Amino acid sequence: MNAEDQEDAARLHWRGSQIGLRARIAVAVALVTLLLSVVLSLVTLTVTRRTLIDQREESVTRRTLANAQTVQGALAVDSTGDLQTVLSSLADASKPSLIIDPGTDRSVTVSLDPTFGVEALPRLLKDRVVEQNASGLMRFRGEGQPLVAVGVPLADRRAAYFEIYRLDDIDNGLRTLGITLVVATALTTIAAAALGYWASRYTLRPITRIGEAAESVALGQLDTRIDYADYAHDHDLAPLVANFNEMVSALEERIDRDARFASDVSHELRSPLTTLNAGLQVLDNNRDDMPERAQQALDLLSADVERFTQLVEDLLEISRFDAGAVRLELDDVALIPLVTSTVRNLGFGDVPVESDPELAETVLACDKRRVVRILANYLNNAEKYADGPTGVFVERHDPDPDNPFDETTVRIGVEDAGPGVPEAERTRIFDRFNRGDQGGSRGADIGVGLGLALAAEHARLQGGRVWVEDRHDGGQGARFVVELPLLGPDDEEAEEDLSAATPEAASALTLTGEHRALTPEDLAGGLRPEELR
Amino acid sequence: MGDDVAVGTRILTVEDDERIRTTVKLALEDEGWEVEEADTGEDAITRFSAAPTDVVLIDIMLPGIDGFEVCRSIRRQSDVPIIMVTARADTHDVVAGLEAGADDYLTKPFVPKELSARIRAMLRRARPTVPGNPRLRFGDLEVVPQEGVVTRDGQPVHLTKTEFRLLVELANHPGTVFSREDLLEKVWGHGVFGDGRLVDVHVRRLRTKVEADPANPRHVVTVRGLGYKLQP
Repeated sequence: MNAEDQEDAARLHWRGSQIGLRARIAVAVALVTLLLSVVLSLVTLTVTRRTLIDQREESVTRRTLANAQTVQGALAVDSTGDLQTVLSSLADASKPSLIIDPGTDRSVTVSLDPTFGVEALPRLLKDRVVEQNASGLMRFRGEGQPLVAVGVPLADRRAAYFEIYRLDDIDNGLRTLGITLVVATALTTIAAAALGYWASRYTLRPITRIGEAAESVALGQLDTRIDYADYAHDHDLAPLVANFNEMVSALEERIDRDARFASDVSHELRSPLTTLNAGLQVLDNNRDDMPERAQQALDLLSADVERFTQLVEDLLEISRFDAGAVRLELDDVALIPLVTSTVRNLGFGDVPVESDPELAETVLACDKRRVVRILANYLNNAEKYADGPTGVFVERHDPDPDNPFDETTVRIGVEDAGPGVPEAERTRIFDRFNRGDQGGSRGADIGVGLGLALAAEHARLQGGRVWVEDRHDGGQGARFVVELPLLGPDDEEAEEDLSAATPEAASALTLTGEHRALTPEDLAGGLRPEELR
Repeated sequence: MGDDVAVGTRILTVEDDERIRTTVKLALEDEGWEVEEADTGEDAITRFSAAPTDVVLIDIMLPGIDGFEVCRSIRRQSDVPIIMVTARADTHDVVAGLEAGADDYLTKPFVPKELSARIRAMLRRARPTVPGNPRLRFGDLEVVPQEGVVTRDGQPVHLTKTEFRLLVELANHPGTVFSREDLLEKVWGHGVFGDGRLVDVHVRRLRTKVEADPANPRHVVTVRGLGYKLQP
């Protein structure tokens, strides 16, 4: 049971990381693309801004210097003229202003645009031009917009000439460029993620295939191979594929060898045991002619040979499981008659068999021999360890809607009124050579500790499982359960056939050919194990 | 048990392992039967032809010609009950043995009591004493249990004793569905661990003889999930 859980977990985990890996590749590609795009965008923005501003500064400087020259010329000709007029006459000046004799009481300031007059100029620039007598340029914000001011000292007079230019057109352009870049970056990133996801499928396809092949090997398809020719051209994948195939071949060979060994051992052990059994029978036939001491020895010998025979049979059976040499013989079996006849024929005719009424007509696709073995083991164990079975229960178990792995099953439980099985023993009891509490004591009647382990294997092979629990009525004792998937002969069609299961009706269907009649091949295990799933 | 088994019953055992052969012979002789031994397939065929035999016990694994071949060879000349002994219960061996004409099989290591029970069942049905209608007709098929005669379209059909017993079992209750367990118990004398393949293979063989079209049987029909019946 544990091993199975682990297997399930592993399978889930494997699938999980398959998706995860693809997603990781896609995310990685997207992130790298995003990073590159952002860096490129930032560089583009910075360089463009720098270039545009440099060009603008250069041009405004040139214009301001030219205008300053003109103003200086005008002042030289007519120092008393209307400064306002002088500034107005400048054709391409942008918001010019003039400071004459700054710092003295004759100081005059003139601006053409009162909003962007001398007051609007940054102090730092004004100081530099007026006090240090050096021309300068400064970007600043005024009236809520980006501006650049250029100041030029006029050499001949104590005066400074300023112009202010707007830069918002550059800012607007840069904003447009920025938005364009952000959108492009986003699109590129999305495209990269998609590309990464798409490409990763191709990259990972070989790994997916190897995974599928491994799963199929795990399910017993030992002849599974990956076609090497498909990957021979790929230097990275070819060794992986070759190694995988080699590994599976080695595994197959080993399992074959084990199976052969089991078969050889089988023959070697079976022959002497046959002789032993036949010889003992002859001795037993002549038991009455023997002295009492010899009779005693004969009885001991018979009991142990019987036990030994059972042990060898169980060992061979379990070694076939280990070697993967077992074959499921699926059969359409009427469930309730199977259970009742098994219980009756094993000599437990007085044990009540209770079953869900809805199961009355159920035909189960199962391996009859194995189901009988499991039941026989449960019943005989109850006889040996718990003073006999007290009841057999056949119940339908409907799937838990919250568990997608749950399916409709049939549970056959054998209850006894014995000492029960302590919680801690309930898993271990199905291990090989483990008899729970009884372990160690070896009374004459104690069976071999392989029965429950075999029951577990028999159930597992049919997609079922076994466990032990408390009695359902709360009484002292245990309930040993085998659970089998409830699969009809053809699932849904089975329901139909069952409703028509009166001999006449069923045979009418068979005869008129409306339904396919089962051939003996079908009955004798024509279904493959995988059809069980 | 042995009341309906005639004294002087002769059993031929074919087994290459001398120890098994000897102990089995001793055990069977204790049942009051006469046992003839053969250690190879060739020897078995010679001995079978030399003297009348009531039951043949064949080990599949033999040096020289194997048990299947011995079985086919004997089946060609006789409808004597044949029990196959195999070391493996693999599907292949069992079905191949039954296809070769065996009536029943046992897996080593077997308990001699079980072997005797099987032989007794074989001997019992080799002499059918089924009371019932003297003459049973099903369309083109006629069964006369007392005389051991089966005819189809007036032509005699040759059945082995097991096939005949199986047909009579079904024919005595036409329309009744027999589960494979029922048939195993009635025809072969098997208990709960009986192998349904015995029934399936015998039904298949029976159909090839009594059905006009064995692929679409009209007499011996399958009742899905339940078993077989004879269509009245």
